[in-house]
Amino acid sequence: MALSMIPDLTRAVGVPRLVGISYPMGRPLGRPHDADGQRVILRAMLELLATAPGPDTYVELPFVWPESPAQARNASKDLPPPPIVTLLTRKPWLLVNLYNGRIPHPAPAA
Amino acid sequence: MSIDSYRFLDFASRQVMKAWAARQERGVIPFTPLAKPLRECTIALISTAGVARHDDRPFDQERERRDPWWGDPTFRLIPLDTTEQDARIYHMHIDPRFGQADLDVVLPMRRLTELAHEGIVGRPAPRHYSIMGYILDPTELVEKTAPALADRMRADDVDGVALVPA
Repeated sequence: MALSMIPDLTRAVGVPRLVGISYPMGRPLGRPHDADGQRVILRAMLELLATAPGPDTYVELPFVWPESPAQARNASKDLPPPPIVTLLTRKPWLLVNLYNGRIPHPAPAA
Repeated sequence: MSIDSYRFLDFASRQVMKAWAARQERGVIPFTPLAKPLRECTIALISTAGVARHDDRPFDQERERRDPWWGDPTFRLIPLDTTEQDARIYHMHIDPRFGQADLDVVLPMRRLTELAHEGIVGRPAPRHYSIMGYILDPTELVEKTAPALADRMRADDVDGVALVPA
């Protein structure tokens, strides 16, 4: 059974049991040290293991993140961008490969 | 679906992931009913945050820096008593500080132990796992890593798994 912050994409892949939640990336169970908030999410996931009647069972959790998307992103703006973002900033024409899922074959390990 | 799946993503990530979702073809979705009541089940967790213990091999950030199309497709074993003091988050596409401050944000092993004490589940597995969520080509993840995880979980008599994204 899976949790997803992007349930539209996860459902498109096709999973047996899915719990959707509208939380930002990096914080799937919520805020640090919010044990009660974390426990209720994990409990909802585990209960779906038992109650799902068949494949592609989907439930949504009603919890609302206390920040706007802009505020949630701002909290992390001091971090360096991931390597793919640095590459695509330098060579934006490669973005079409990412968009179309044309992933170059992995370079051999050095 | 009432959740806006793309609410917290920046514009470019949103467009890319919508395109992936639209193109994805679903095959037959597997389904295995739980073989016994949840309160008797052994549960394992998998986090995609790229968590590795300090005494284990880090996820390979250097190779991803050299080849940004590549993401480390291996897994790390996380014993149940591991805390944020014992491990690091190597995923470069998320802010690691939240899970670093409280590992249960990404790998809720203490919450799972509490739910076992409450009688909701039987017991936490002795071993949990982490993989790295940024993998654009999932071939090795699907063909090697996932079966290796399944083998270890069978050895621990795991009945159910909760996959936690990051």
